[in-house]
Amino acid sequence: MNCEEATKLMDGYLDGELDPITSQTIEQHLRDCPNCEQKYMANRALVNAIGSAIPYYKAPAGLRERIQCSLREEIADRPARAVPRLLVTRKQPEPRTTLFGTPWNWLSLGGLGLAAAIIFAAIIFSNLAPMLRRPGADQFLATQLIASHVRSLMVNHLTDVASSDQHTVKPWLDAKLDFAPPVVDLASEGFPLIGGRLDYLDNRTVAALIYQRRKHFINVFVWPGEAAARPALAMSHQGYQLLHWADPDFNYWAVSDVSASDLQTFKQQFEAQRSHH
Amino acid sequence: MAAPLKVDYAFDTEDLESSAKIVKFAILKKHQQQDAAQEHEVASFEETMLPHMDAAHNLAKWLLRNEEDAQDVVQEAYLRAFKSFSGFHGSNGRAWLLTIVRNTSYTLLKKNRAVDLTTTFDEEIHTAGYESVSPAAILEHSENAELIKEAMDALPMEFREILALRHQEGLSYKEIAEIAQIPPGTVMSRLSRARAELKEYLAARIGKDK
Ligand SMILES: [Zn+2]
Repeated sequence: MNCEEATKLMDGYLDGELDPITSQTIEQHLRDCPNCEQKYMANRALVNAIGSAIPYYKAPAGLRERIQCSLREEIADRPARAVPRLLVTRKQPEPRTTLFGTPWNWLSLGGLGLAAAIIFAAIIFSNLAPMLRRPGADQFLATQLIASHVRSLMVNHLTDVASSDQHTVKPWLDAKLDFAPPVVDLASEGFPLIGGRLDYLDNRTVAALIYQRRKHFINVFVWPGEAAARPALAMSHQGYQLLHWADPDFNYWAVSDVSASDLQTFKQQFEAQRSHH
Repeated sequence: MAAPLKVDYAFDTEDLESSAKIVKFAILKKHQQQDAAQEHEVASFEETMLPHMDAAHNLAKWLLRNEEDAQDVVQEAYLRAFKSFSGFHGSNGRAWLLTIVRNTSYTLLKKNRAVDLTTTFDEEIHTAGYESVSPAAILEHSENAELIKEAMDALPMEFREILALRHQEGLSYKEIAEIAQIPPGTVMSRLSRARAELKEYLAARIGKDK
């Protein structure tokens, strides 16, 4: 091995990345050639010194949370990919019911005649009625709704369309959805509109309307479905207030950390404004 | 006969609602199981990959030389890694993540049409006239982190990359070849050039200050 070859392989030797035979050849050369040996020693000291002096940029505080948040957002968004299918193909009914199906839909989709359907429903009810006394579906739905509400605040994704003008928010939502959710102006009632967003619950695209009450936000999730009006249902869950109501066209779930009475007021104003249209 | 009674009973809206609730209950239970499976997937990913967050950030910062971009790239890289995590069966999570960080960084730079990718180190400017600075003199200054940082930042991207991977992560030539997507035989020569140019930059700076 000559000096030129030795110089070329020096970094590999330094890093311990040469095969044993080449390593031995270099070692032999370094023993025989003081010039190369001196160069090697100087190079090694310098490389080690510089190498350990390169500043290491540790991840700053908050990056972990940011990553974790985006991973959970990714998971939460997954059903969204199934949504276009739901939006486009309405020709044949869903093979199974969804959370959003009305009882009538569910029963008729099962391929049963109306009378049989009613009997079937009655049998289910009489057999399983005691189960219904337990906190059930609404509690689970509440958990989902709260998760959506929290996520919208956490990942800085409160609105897809940010506007206090109902005439901006409503057309935007109408264009994105297969239904036309009501959007009302409640600014003079102390609940200014912040904007709208698409959200996903149970593989279903729903409209989320965002209103503000002082420094708090109210997410109102809206989707069509309820055949008949049902009494409002108020819940408190995980420190959040939830209020559910329905009118002949839509289901509503309002979620917020405002007080229960504020949320009631909100609902009353919302319904009052809605009935004007 | 009991059935007609039940039919009457069932016309009550509340009853229909109740039966629907049972269905809702069953569906929500299923979704909860799906949620649990997804949460498990995230947890297992985080356990494997989050320990390499410093390495990911360090590499991204050296490549991009900008804190905000580095954080964006790391977040994006984690998301990409998560999406293809089911296809990852290797044992070297760090090298795998760093490959993604590196690719994401290059994508960002290309998008910003950064000149950095084509910049080549101008040896004449950096080395002319400083032959007199001895290795010992450079060694004296080699613990000056501020100066080393300046020298690193002045190097082309491919050199910053290989120096970070070798000296800060202590990766083998084979791992470096995979991450930097170069033939294994090229790693040694590139590393050698990167070190030489780092030394030359330092020599130039020290010579100028004298
Ligand atoms: Zn020699």
